[in-house]
Amino acid sequence: MSLKIALKNYFILFLPAITIMLFMPATSFSADIGNCLLCHKYPGISRVDEEGKLKLFYVNEDIFNNSVHAKVKCDGCHTDIKEIPHKHAIKVDCLVECHIIEPASKKKFSHKDVQTFINKSVHGVIDNKGKEKKFKEDFPTCKSCHDNPLYRPISFFKRVRPGISEQSLGRCRVCHKSEDFIYRSYNHVTTRLHPLNIAGVCAKCHNDLALVTRHGLSTKAVYSYGETFHGKAASFLDERIPNCLDCHVSKGESVHQMLTHKDPNASTSEQNKGKICTTIDCHPSASPKLAKYGVHSEFNLTQSPAQYFFTVFFIVLTGGTLLPLMVIIFLDIVRRFFPNASIGGRK
Amino acid sequence: MKAFLFKIYMLLFMVLVVFFIVVIWNVTFGHIVHEYYERQKVNDITALKGSNEQEVEKSTFEKVILESDERVKNYLGYKILEETRIKGHFHHIGFDIGPDKRSYCVKCHGDIPHDAVKEIRAFLNMHTFFVGCQTCHIKLEGKNKTGVFKWYNRMSGEIVDSPVKTARPGTYKAKIIPFERVNGQLQRIDNDERIAFALEYSKREKTLTEGQKSRAIKLIHKLVSKKPVQCEECHQKDNPLLPFEAIGYPKERVDSITSTEVVGMIKNYTKFYMPKMLTPEEAKKK
Ligand code: HEC
Ligand code: HEC
Ligand code: HEC
Ligand code: HEC
Ligand code: HEC
Ligand code: HEC
Ligand code: HEC
Ligand code: HEC
Repeated sequence: MSLKIALKNYFILFLPAITIMLFMPATSFSADIGNCLLCHKYPGISRVDEEGKLKLFYVNEDIFNNSVHAKVKCDGCHTDIKEIPHKHAIKVDCLVECHIIEPASKKKFSHKDVQTFINKSVHGVIDNKGKEKKFKEDFPTCKSCHDNPLYRPISFFKRVRPGISEQSLGRCRVCHKSEDFIYRSYNHVTTRLHPLNIAGVCAKCHNDLALVTRHGLSTKAVYSYGETFHGKAASFLDERIPNCLDCHVSKGESVHQMLTHKDPNASTSEQNKGKICTTIDCHPSASPKLAKYGVHSEFNLTQSPAQYFFTVFFIVLTGGTLLPLMVIIFLDIVRRFFPNASIGGRK
Repeated sequence: MKAFLFKIYMLLFMVLVVFFIVVIWNVTFGHIVHEYYERQKVNDITALKGSNEQEVEKSTFEKVILESDERVKNYLGYKILEETRIKGHFHHIGFDIGPDKRSYCVKCHGDIPHDAVKEIRAFLNMHTFFVGCQTCHIKLEGKNKTGVFKWYNRMSGEIVDSPVKTARPGTYKAKIIPFERVNGQLQRIDNDERIAFALEYSKREKTLTEGQKSRAIKLIHKLVSKKPVQCEECHQKDNPLLPFEAIGYPKERVDSITSTEVVGMIKNYTKFYMPKMLTPEEAKKK
């Protein structure tokens, strides 16, 4: 390990804990997580399993308390862990009914509905004829897209930026008295992943060449997103830039209901595409023709010839002028070093 | 003198120009070449597409060990949380486990050395994060016993103040190491001589005969006790191995570590476990 990386590690060791503590309001809250953290708060609690993979049983308490599941008790998800020592745990079922009561319906809460949205989407394993799709192990489950989501509130007050808007909180405080309640509600409603992290979720599969070709998709979608203006702006941490979901999910639908662009109902279908660009938040005055812009154009002659030639032209122009220039400067310097050198008697 | 400075100046200028050539190449023609090979790869896979078989990935050392340390950045706005990605890991880790550069034991045994005893291996590894190997594996008995323990920094190796009050339990950048008495002087047990010996062995291992190797291993483990320190020896109210107050534990932490609740829980784990006598020699025979 190089010194640089080592130093970085050293630094990171304590940075998160401190920043999170600073970020958390004075009235710190935490789920009554029984005694699980007695052992699981220790970062070294780990072993190597039979396949040689690292099993890390550590749960970072500060980060957990800042996650959307902070109020869920450990055994709300790990329902089979009842005794100590515990045996090999069964995998957590994300659709389990938990002890939280959904305030509107007063029923026990569950994520079951999300699964029905996924089943209806392009990521569902069963196609519309009721048959299992090919390569069904390629399709995502909750856990292939989500780790424990962290609160990441967005302030919309005057500008869009990550973080909490104090002015908004002032308005909440008019009616609500519990700071903890206000803090959590604000987070709950406004939390959004950063466009880059959403792309990261999709990249696990949509940048995997083998998977992309197995399913007859035409682009490494996250890579090609990154090549366009949208992706470039996202990498400068712009909040207003469209992420994958802004284009691939019809307004008002669950983010899980993404459809193939061949489906006429899809937001990305040939006939609907224009509407994505011209929404009020994006390019309201643009003509629907803007949708001809290749949002996933790869650097590929057959797929997007115009972009291809354009790029090649500029590459040749830049490289073709700058490289010879540099070589000439280099030779010039060499000459200054050996002002009297000669080849074959010529000077 | 002036000519010399001029030479240096020109030399630096030359390096700069070469640097620019490389950069420009990479973003222009190099980019096209790279893309070409990427495309080539797609074509290989497209050729496979017809078949229903999913390519079975070969598990090379590269894939399994080196690439498994992928890193993720969570852009949270107020900060960027960067951490190692362990495949299928749901909870966040939040910080990196900095390497222990001082311990020579981990050079051979690794950071996660315990595996043999299913009931307690995760616990042993948990302690290994903040307790030095020698604290458990070297029992100073009789007149050798000093009862002195101190913290050393994982990175620099130096003896530091107790970190206990400054961080969450177990998340320290330091580890506990025992002290022995040599000629009346207190001295840390992982002294430079022992470290040098182990390093020398690792360097020359390839050239040694089997017999020489066994002797070296035996010498390295000369201090290692047959029976390591057991859970209860530290987790007990009277006369625990570690002088908790002296190494900076506040009273309520000591009470917790040695509480009947924790001790009872530990008993549950160790009920069916018979401590084994360890020797490097025996392990070799197996
Ligand atoms: C006395 C310490 C202790 C307490 C308290 C404790 N655990 Fe554990 N837990 C462990 C250890 C040790 C392991 C690792 C076991 C192994 O080596 O596989 C573990 C493993 C686990 C695993 C992973 C199991 C697997 O095989 O994948 C889960 C999940 C878990 N614990 C959840 C919990 C929950 C939930 C609670 C609270 C109800 C809890 N633990 C309380 C010590 C503890
Ligand atoms: C929202 C549900 C949820 C809550 C709440 C939750 N966990 Fe988990 N936990 C998971 C999931 C999902 C996994 C991934 C493994 C799996 O699928 O079972 C996991 C894995 C684990 C593991 C095993 C890690 C591994 O690599 O196998 C441990 C240990 C663990 N959790 C402990 C805890 C503790 C302690 C708490 C309370 C602070 C807690 N969990 C709260 C959902 C949850
Ligand atoms: C294809 C990847 C993917 C899969 C599979 C997936 N999710 Fe999501 N989910 C997302 C993304 C992306 C978001 C949006 C996150 C954001 O904007 O902060 C999201 C958001 C959510 C939300 C927040 C509410 C909302 O709809 O925005 C919940 C709750 C949720 N997912 C639960 C689940 C559950 C439960 C499953 C399994 C049945 C699941 N997800 C499967 C990608 C996925
Ligand atoms: C676990 C792997 C996996 C993840 C993660 C994943 N996808 Fe997919 N996705 C697939 C597979 C497989 C298909 C092809 C489905 C088929 O063959 O019908 C697909 C298809 C799609 C399609 C339809 C393509 C078309 O035909 O027009 C879109 C859009 C899509 N995914 C978007 C996303 C987005 C956005 C995300 C991230 C939030 C995401 N996917 C995450 C596996 C994944
Ligand atoms: C600006 C809007 C926009 C954004 C942002 C966007 N897409 Fe797309 N995507 C489209 C449109 C429109 C199509 C339909 C095909 C086309 O016209 O190029 C598409 C097509 C796709 C396809 C199918 C490609 C094919 O032809 O097989 C996938 C997969 C996909 N997108 C995934 C993603 C992922 C993953 C992200 C985020 C990294 C993303 N998209 C971001 C608009 C967008
Ligand atoms: C040069 C490499 C090397 C170093 C340094 C080293 N060990 Fe070992 N250790 C071994 C080998 C080889 C074995 C024999 C067991 C085997 O073949 O797996 C062993 C065996 C052991 C065993 C017995 C295992 C059993 O199953 O019986 C213990 C305990 C042990 N070492 C502890 C330590 C401690 C503590 C240190 C640091 C003071 C240390 N070792 C330093 C290489 C090393
Ligand atoms: C908390 C005390 C403790 C610490 C710290 C500790 N060990 Fe151990 N170790 C034990 C115990 C107890 C055993 C015996 C398990 C048994 O009964 O077989 C053991 C066993 C071993 C073994 C035998 C193989 C195995 O899988 O159990 C090796 C090798 C070993 N330790 C190396 C190390 C090294 C190297 C370190 C430092 C990085 C270390 N230990 C730190 C307590 C400890
Ligand atoms: C060398 C002495 C030592 C040995 C041996 C030892 N422990 Fe510990 N243990 C500690 C110390 C010190 C702590 C407190 C760490 C801290 O918070 O800084 C601790 C903490 C714990 C805790 C968490 C208690 C709490 O209040 O946070 C558990 C559980 C535990 N040990 C179990 C075990 C088990 C099981 C074993 C045997 C496999 C064992 N210990 C062996 C020194 C030891």
